[in-house]
Amino acid sequence: MSLDLDQALQTYIAEARELLQDMEDSLLRLEADPSDADTIGAIFRAAHTIKGSAGLFGLDPIVSFTHIVEDVLDRVRDGDVVIEANLIAVLLESGDHMLHLVDVVAAQGGQLDAEAIARESGLRIRLQDYQANQDSSKSNNVVQVETEASFQSSGGGFVETDNWHISLRFGENVMRDGMDPLSFLRYLSTLGEIVSITTMFDALPPADKMDAESCYLGFEIDFKSDADKATIAGVFEFAREGSLIHILPPHSKLTEYIDLIRSFPENETRLGEILVSTGALTQQELEDGLSEQQTSTRSDGSTTPLGEILVDQRSVEHEVVQAALDKQTQSKDSKSKENRYIRVHADKLDELINMVGELVIAGAGVSLLAQRVSDNGLQEATSVMSGLVEEIRDGALRLRMVPIGETFSRFQRVVRDVGRELGKDIELVITGAETELDKTVVEKIGDPLMHLVRNAMDHGIESASIRQAVGKPAKGTLRLNAYHDSGSIVIEIVDDGGGLNRDRILQKARERGLIAPNVTPPDSEIYNMIFEAGFSTAEAITNLSGRGVGMDVVKRNITALRGTVSLDSAVGQGTTVSIRLPLTLAIIDGFLVGVGKSSYIVPLDMVQECIELSEKDRQETRERSYLNLRGEVLPFVKLRDHFEVESIGGSRRENVVVVSCAGQKAGLVVDELMGEFQTVIKPLGKIFSTLRGISGSTILGSGEVALILDVPSLVHQAVNQESQKVSTRQLSHSVM
Amino acid sequence: MPISSRNNNGQSLLHIEGDMTIYTAADMKDELMNHIAQPCDREIDLSEVSEMDSAGLQILILAKRDSERHGTSLRLTGHSRAVLDVLDMCNLAPYFGDPVVLSCNEKKGQ
Amino acid sequence: MGKAILIVDDSASVRQVVSIALKGAGYDVIEGCDGKDALTKLNGQKIHLIISDVNMPNMDGITFVKEVKKLANYKFTPIIMLTTESQEGKKQEGQAAGAKAWVVKPFQPAQMLAAVSKLILP
Repeated sequence: MSLDLDQALQTYIAEARELLQDMEDSLLRLEADPSDADTIGAIFRAAHTIKGSAGLFGLDPIVSFTHIVEDVLDRVRDGDVVIEANLIAVLLESGDHMLHLVDVVAAQGGQLDAEAIARESGLRIRLQDYQANQDSSKSNNVVQVETEASFQSSGGGFVETDNWHISLRFGENVMRDGMDPLSFLRYLSTLGEIVSITTMFDALPPADKMDAESCYLGFEIDFKSDADKATIAGVFEFAREGSLIHILPPHSKLTEYIDLIRSFPENETRLGEILVSTGALTQQELEDGLSEQQTSTRSDGSTTPLGEILVDQRSVEHEVVQAALDKQTQSKDSKSKENRYIRVHADKLDELINMVGELVIAGAGVSLLAQRVSDNGLQEATSVMSGLVEEIRDGALRLRMVPIGETFSRFQRVVRDVGRELGKDIELVITGAETELDKTVVEKIGDPLMHLVRNAMDHGIESASIRQAVGKPAKGTLRLNAYHDSGSIVIEIVDDGGGLNRDRILQKARERGLIAPNVTPPDSEIYNMIFEAGFSTAEAITNLSGRGVGMDVVKRNITALRGTVSLDSAVGQGTTVSIRLPLTLAIIDGFLVGVGKSSYIVPLDMVQECIELSEKDRQETRERSYLNLRGEVLPFVKLRDHFEVESIGGSRRENVVVVSCAGQKAGLVVDELMGEFQTVIKPLGKIFSTLRGISGSTILGSGEVALILDVPSLVHQAVNQESQKVSTRQLSHSVM
Repeated sequence: MPISSRNNNGQSLLHIEGDMTIYTAADMKDELMNHIAQPCDREIDLSEVSEMDSAGLQILILAKRDSERHGTSLRLTGHSRAVLDVLDMCNLAPYFGDPVVLSCNEKKGQ
Repeated sequence: MGKAILIVDDSASVRQVVSIALKGAGYDVIEGCDGKDALTKLNGQKIHLIISDVNMPNMDGITFVKEVKKLANYKFTPIIMLTTESQEGKKQEGQAAGAKAWVVKPFQPAQMLAAVSKLILP
């Protein structure tokens, strides 16, 4: 396969997968609303396109199976087959099988294994029930050519010439229909040699009656070719309507020629002369033929039997056209809200974003230099440029943003199938499908989501009988929701099940030594215990069996994406798992701070405010790890201590950057506030992976490296330190 | 106008420029027929005809036939490549009876 | 410069394959992804042939053909409809609308090339 075609095949594979996903979504939609004509149309189109394109690549196994599916869908569209649960089930499975076919046949160039073949034959049998009777009228695309049936009047022998003879009288409308008779002749001459050609324009009316857009031309052609009759007839197939086309093979019967002469509008003698002059007939053949025909046909003068047949044939076509016109007015124009896309290879986008990242860094360098030389003109110019660079950055990142809806809607099928498996009736409600996030994040969030959804269905939502017993609707509801929140996307998995068993978790956590026996943390903390590694077992939390299994993996996956996961639950009412993820993994708006000689970046969207640490506060911070922020308790982390940075000069002023994350606030104590800075995130090497409080690194315009602070973990640390101290203090009080 | 005309010693010289196709056929027919109705001999320069299809060919045939009916002569000259191709394909050069100039290169280029 | 052909199909792979086959034969190819999109491509440039699918979002092939027939500069452009054998009715609808040529899907690139060549040579 050529390189180009191979590329086209890749396009096909991606396209087919997408269409199959659409088909599945539409089928599920159809289950809810079986009469939705638009959806039925979309499903049909998907199958239609998959089949049509597969044919282009000679992917016969796909064509042959999809053809059956398309057939059934066509009948559904025409209202001959009614949508019902079984049909949707078969179609869903057929879609799965088509996906398998695409993967195996198109992507790997392989063949189905025995299991898949067995599955396919099973599906074929089930689909058969919905197909029309097999003898459905197949259209005949072959041009109407002379019937081979010989004339009863067996007068005359065969003509001598070994050329084909082609007689053409084009219909009046061929040129209006966009077809140029000359084009057919040009194509004909690629199939053989036009030995002779006579242009017939006897039909051309007087100038005042002649319509310049109507065709009045005809041709008598002697043609030498090894092509078969169907091929030669095929040349004129598009002009068949309204045209008279006669193709006589070499050595045809003389009678056929004579009848040909009779069937055309021109004067017999003239046509006869033409045939003789071009060598199609000899003079003798013509004379013999004409006289014999005269004696053997009924002597009613100017009868032109074949002509009549052809006229009849034309009137038939007229009716067909009329029927088509009638049908056409009934058919509604299909509407669709599908968007238009350019398919771009993800690598190209990544490359672009990388380059933009470098551009941002270089731009930052220029800005820093401009500030240093304090040239107003230069500063103005760089600020305009940074504005543009920022827009380019946002634009480039937006290119990689995709709505999460596609990921969500994949779960329709999961919920449906798992629900059946578990014998639970569960409805999936999707909200916020249009919320966008970076494609790289989307790709990685699928697995954790799958885990959470399955868990919620399996262990969260109760069986119908239990639900009814506690007065809930029998049908369970699972909600997937997404929204943007200060530079993050929040994804929620909400079930209306029984909720977590707080006491069991607490008990288990104590057994494991995760919580001190005499401490009772807030409920939210207890619930989030289930994200600890290997936390739960079936006997520990019966109504939750298994929910803990793999939850630590979920958390690890999400943490790896610089995200956080938390869980909230209310007994009897359900559980909400919230995943908070950064919108993109590539670039953030940072806030540059200095500690000693080192620079750190705080993600700007987490910065609430900056305050100067007064002398009084400094005194206090030596004794306790919280500040009084306008009457509010603000736990803080001294970055100098945390990262063990050498201090330079004792009495420098200190500042506090107030950050917030997931509803918790904390202060970061730093030396210097250096302002906003666009930050291209460079991942840290593996050796830094154990470093707490750092999520990545970046390069400053000056070429120095700055570390990006992992604010969630710092906030967590600050808050924990504080609450532990508080609780130990409380403890010591109570002991005393 | 795609057709321009001038008079040369009682002979009308017409010059057709651009496409002679179905898109231009209707206008061209009307204009050309107006000229043909004038009782004088006539020559049509086809050197600037860029494209010709069946519709254009029909116009030329019509002009030739009507000239004969009016008893005037019609000569086609300077056939462009596009015109020659069509006349050649349809074997109509003898019908028009005009001398046709083919350069060797062009003939080989076919 | 070859003769220009507009291929209208919502399937990118169909457009790509047709495009490869036609370009290889010496035609220029312009692509449209549905009827509506294709109409925007008919903006004055010379198009010698149109190939259009029937089933497309936004504007289906039949409507598209009817629209082309309303355009003074394109109404005589030959149009090849891409139909399937199960769509005899659609084919007739297309013919009534003015698309008198057709190619049955699924087709081999060579079949497409043959159909195109009957109507215009490159």
